[in-house]
Amino acid sequence: MPVNETLRILRTVRYDAKHYSLFLQAGRVGPATLPGQFAMLQAGDGLRPYLRRAFSVADVATLAGVPCIEFVVRVVGVGTEALGRFAEGTPIPVLGPLGTPFPIDDLRVSDRVALVAGGIGLAPLVLLARRLAERGVPADLFYGGRNESEVLKRPDFERLLGAPRCRYATDDGSLGRRGLVTDLLQAALDAGTTYRRVFACGPQAMFRTLAALLARTGTDASFALESEMACGFGVCLGCVVPGRDGRFLTVCKEGPCLPPSAIDWGAV
Amino acid sequence: MNAGDVDLTARLGPLVLKNPVATASGTFGYGLEFTDYVSLASLGAITVKGLSLRPCLGNPPPRICETDAGMLNAIGLQNIGVEAFLTEKLPELHARGATVIANVWGDTEDEFRSVVERIGDDPRVAAIELNVSCPNVVKGGMVFGNDPAALGALVSAVRPLARRPLIVKLSPNVTDIVACARAAVDAGADVLSLINTLVGLAIDLETREPKIGFTTGGLSGPAIRPVAVRMVWEVRRALPGVPLFGIGGIETAENVVEFLIAGADAVQVGTASFRDPGLAGRLVREVAEWCARHGVQRSSDLVGTLKTRPRAEHRYA
Ligand SMILES: Cc1cc2nc3c(=O)[nH]c(=O)nc-3n(C[C@H](O)[C@H](O)[C@H](O)COP(=O)(O)OP(=O)(O)OC[C@H]3O[C@@H](n4cnc5c(N)ncnc54)[C@H](O)[C@@H]3O)c2cc1C
Ligand SMILES: Cc1cc2nc3c(=O)[nH]c(=O)nc-3n(C[C@H](O)[C@H](O)[C@H](O)COP(=O)(O)O)c2cc1C
Ligand code: FES
Repeated sequence: MPVNETLRILRTVRYDAKHYSLFLQAGRVGPATLPGQFAMLQAGDGLRPYLRRAFSVADVATLAGVPCIEFVVRVVGVGTEALGRFAEGTPIPVLGPLGTPFPIDDLRVSDRVALVAGGIGLAPLVLLARRLAERGVPADLFYGGRNESEVLKRPDFERLLGAPRCRYATDDGSLGRRGLVTDLLQAALDAGTTYRRVFACGPQAMFRTLAALLARTGTDASFALESEMACGFGVCLGCVVPGRDGRFLTVCKEGPCLPPSAIDWGAV
Repeated sequence: MNAGDVDLTARLGPLVLKNPVATASGTFGYGLEFTDYVSLASLGAITVKGLSLRPCLGNPPPRICETDAGMLNAIGLQNIGVEAFLTEKLPELHARGATVIANVWGDTEDEFRSVVERIGDDPRVAAIELNVSCPNVVKGGMVFGNDPAALGALVSAVRPLARRPLIVKLSPNVTDIVACARAAVDAGADVLSLINTLVGLAIDLETREPKIGFTTGGLSGPAIRPVAVRMVWEVRRALPGVPLFGIGGIETAENVVEFLIAGADAVQVGTASFRDPGLAGRLVREVAEWCARHGVQRSSDLVGTLKTRPRAEHRYA
């Protein structure tokens, strides 16, 4: 059940000019959040930005003993810029947790899954990695970024999943393999690895390639999609993607985590 | 005076509301999505998403984009259809004590008639609101809303079938809002709602494509409020006896009061419910507090109290 509450900023950690982690008090939103769910954050009470912005809950943990929620943010415009500049203690209106989470309830210790991240798409996979680790489900990470400094939260992934299970691809080869993250996964599949399910979040191009690849191999998958959102809780009907059945699916309610087979990629 | 002593009753002809704060169609879902954030029974009324005879899938994305102090939308009237609404949503809305306004639309006069007929005299529907003004469908809506003659003909055709109070929601995308208001009232509208969204266009400079799939979209939010207040005032002045809902960019109790002074008997909160789903409930209390602070016993005492100055002729140097 989503909660509409105001949570204070505990800390903002900058990675570089374009990326930061925002730690808020956990409130009631934190403990209720399942991996893959998101929250709508209001950046200031002015008219610019006007609407709330959607962010995946990246992690639910503690910061110096205080329960917190973490968001990992890439600056792309006025809202993401503003959220990164607020002082510690600033109250932020938060609506969450929202949306359909990654399906993990049926996974067992004997299953093996893959986590595929492209760019800022790492965000929802941190909490997912944490929950999978807690349940002892083995998970391989495939994480692609522009360069080494844009591959975020590596220590967290490597601690949760084990460093040998984490593989990277960068555009410039500064970390891991030079090339695309989907090439990494393709290589693993070609080498005979089979996955019970693939969880992915990243840019549209990555989703497209991945959807085609997974359809060919018949691998079950769940993609955490993005879309422009006005409300985040299923009432504006602004965030839809075209479904395979001709209907439109709300990314905020039926998603964000959807099987790629439910989406009409030709119409996206 | 305490806020609790203020009489908030809003009388709109045959439609009597416990307070003047309602919600606007398309921004409040079917109401039930909001029960975690606001008590539906505490609101003057809730207006549900525009209902059509058959379920409607809506427009291909992208459907929305933010603009300065507002947003554009071209949802394309996606809805579950009147039948599903009456059987799946209305019983629970009624059980929760909500005062329900059914917003309806059709591509043709016949479709409008059929939806209204289907609702019949269902007492769980407090009023029917005709959306003659949605700018997002290729045929239909726009044609009725932009021409007083077509609008009058549509309302005349629907009126005999409407067995609940009939609200007509006007399009602001016209040169003479008063002519449209008059046509609707002459054809039998009990109440008028104004305004719907203003047609706008936002462009992605890199791709030189419209940001919205439908090319144009309806502008809503604080950006349109002065236009809405002006139109309410114009209609109120021309048709002083006609009950009005004021709609457009309402975010605060002061915004509600501004609409009442301009001549609205009640208001509908729209896009602001996306920003804060609990807002409408809070506005009910805050309007009462505003009235108490200003010694206003009945919020209806504010309605149409704008004091205008005579307009000066322009003079040349
Ligand atoms: C379910 C969900 C989870 C998300 N999780 C994260 C996250 O964990 N970290 C993160 O950094 N970002 C995340 N995003 C994207 C984030 O919501 C947008 O980057 C943000 O809304 C942009 O706001 P802005 O004001 O900075 O940009 P604006 O000035 O509004 O726009 C700048 C650019 O971003 C694009 N944009 C605007 N809104 C969105 C959107 N909702 N999704 C994608 N692109 C958008 C615009 O088209 C424009 O090109 C998520 C989006 C969704 C829908
Ligand atoms: C996403 C969205 C969907 C809407 N859908 C409808 C609708 O189905 N029927 C209708 O009469 N008006 C619809 N409207 C118009 C609103 O009811 C309202 O008239 C308008 O948004 C202006 O008010 P606001 O500035 O407070 O949002 C919609 C508005 C938005 C933003
Ligand atoms: S963002 Fe409003 S319905 Fe999804």
